[in-house]
Amino acid sequence: MLHAADRPMKKAKRNRTEFWMLLPSMIVLAIISLFPFFFMIYASFMDYRLDMDKPRFAGLDNWKNIFTDSTYWDSWGRTVIYAGGGLIIQLALGIGLALLLYHIPKFRNLFATLLMLPLFVAPIVAGLLWRFLLDPTYGLYNWFLQLLGVNIQILGDPSYAMPAVIMMDVWEWTPLITIIVLAGLQSVSHEPLEAAEVDGASGWQKVRYILLPMVRRMIVVALLIRSMDILRYVDVITITTEGGPADATKTIGYYLMQVAFRFQDIGTAAALGLTMLVVSIMLGRFFIRVLRSEEA
Amino acid sequence: MSTRRNILYTVLYILGIAALAWSLIPIIYMIMSSLKTQIGMFTMPPQLIFEPTFDVYKDMFSARGNFTGFLSNSIIVSLITTLLCLVLGVTGGFALARGNFKREKDIAFWIISTRMAPIPAVILPLYLIFAKFGMIGTTEGLIFAYTTFNLPFSLWLMMTFFKDIPIDLEEAAMIDGCSKFRAFWQIALPTAAPGIVATAVLCLMFSWNDYAFASVFTGKGTQTVPVAVSLLVSQSGIKWGQAMATGTVVIMPMLICGLLVRKYMVRGLSMGAVK
Repeated sequence: MLHAADRPMKKAKRNRTEFWMLLPSMIVLAIISLFPFFFMIYASFMDYRLDMDKPRFAGLDNWKNIFTDSTYWDSWGRTVIYAGGGLIIQLALGIGLALLLYHIPKFRNLFATLLMLPLFVAPIVAGLLWRFLLDPTYGLYNWFLQLLGVNIQILGDPSYAMPAVIMMDVWEWTPLITIIVLAGLQSVSHEPLEAAEVDGASGWQKVRYILLPMVRRMIVVALLIRSMDILRYVDVITITTEGGPADATKTIGYYLMQVAFRFQDIGTAAALGLTMLVVSIMLGRFFIRVLRSEEA
Repeated sequence: MSTRRNILYTVLYILGIAALAWSLIPIIYMIMSSLKTQIGMFTMPPQLIFEPTFDVYKDMFSARGNFTGFLSNSIIVSLITTLLCLVLGVTGGFALARGNFKREKDIAFWIISTRMAPIPAVILPLYLIFAKFGMIGTTEGLIFAYTTFNLPFSLWLMMTFFKDIPIDLEEAAMIDGCSKFRAFWQIALPTAAPGIVATAVLCLMFSWNDYAFASVFTGKGTQTVPVAVSLLVSQSGIKWGQAMATGTVVIMPMLICGLLVRKYMVRGLSMGAVK
């Protein structure tokens, strides 16, 4: 028998089990996220090198270093091109492909499944594979280009290296946008579409005014996940161009790895990493806010 | 009208096949190249019909190839990380879905921003901490490092799976005198089984495919397969035959796992946002 008086106690008791179930993962999460985070803040105010026994207090030196370092700003500039360019292309292609799959009457699942495969390829393998395909002597795609009369060393040329690494990201991750948007399209109810048909709407009008607005939330989700991930990974650039040629593909993430492990300047790297973290958290907050306003 | 429709469908199928070709040719070409001779794989135009040879694979798995070492490191690290994050993620995810905590929104944001923090910005502080505790080059260190992205991921995803399960059955069991934990263990857990499998596969994939953490935190004897891939690139050139074969070995298990849980893939990769 449940009495009104039992309720608060029951609720507290119910929460107690959950509290103990949640506690271990919260402790581990704190160890793996907060501890490194505070350690990084500490390091950013120290003169800290890998070969040093005791780091010395350095005040704001590291912060001054990065903000007056032109390579730092250039790397951010290239990151904007890399992430912005990559996201725009894969978003356009991904939405286009999702609409295509939505409209074909047969083999939709087969197409979607096969299109997904690049998602499972380890980025390091994807990078090396594309390096092979674009190799000036042995590459399959290089051979195609030569047949078309195009003779360039794609990854060795400062003006083509960036488009090439963007294209690799597009190759691997466009399917993610496709399957997310397709899932959204498949859950759209048929009634508005049928009503539009009765009203004589053209195919394009249906896409533009009914389908796309209904999957806007899905597009924001895809954009959130992809924008975080494109800042996260440095694998492809590491295995293909190492930031080169002539720094053409040196994004902020790759520059951070260089400052930390090649120049071994931990203090500066920590300050740099914190700015990266702030930018990605702000970007994440922005998209989550957009999502919440969509839901409301 | 119907001819117009037929033309439209033809165009759509042609574009679809073009997209398939663009997506799949690199993968197919990699697998084919790994089965060719060291001369055959470089011939242009590419040989489409050839007698497959397993020489590169035999070499890799022979005693002097020491590839099995890399492989077992990868398997051990991926499995342990997955198991660890799954146990914590399933219990914690259930608690988040059913419990009523203060500042739940902040906890959610904390989890998600830990998952999405840029890898280089995570590697750096971990490196310093590991260096202090002598954990560089150890398997434990790498497992710890993988927890930084897999724990928030599994917590979050399991939370969304548990939220989808109606609470009625558990409540009914509890009215019959079942404890909350037993209701979780005997009712919620079996119902969430597909979600747990999907989460496990994705955790496995994220660890298996990682290169950045492994390249910094492993040393001789603890290196994983993605590091082996990068070691094939040197100043004097790239061992393409081995590179294609190693790449094939890296992607095959993930392609198979991915296809097995295909139904839940969208959901997992969108962190539960797409049902």
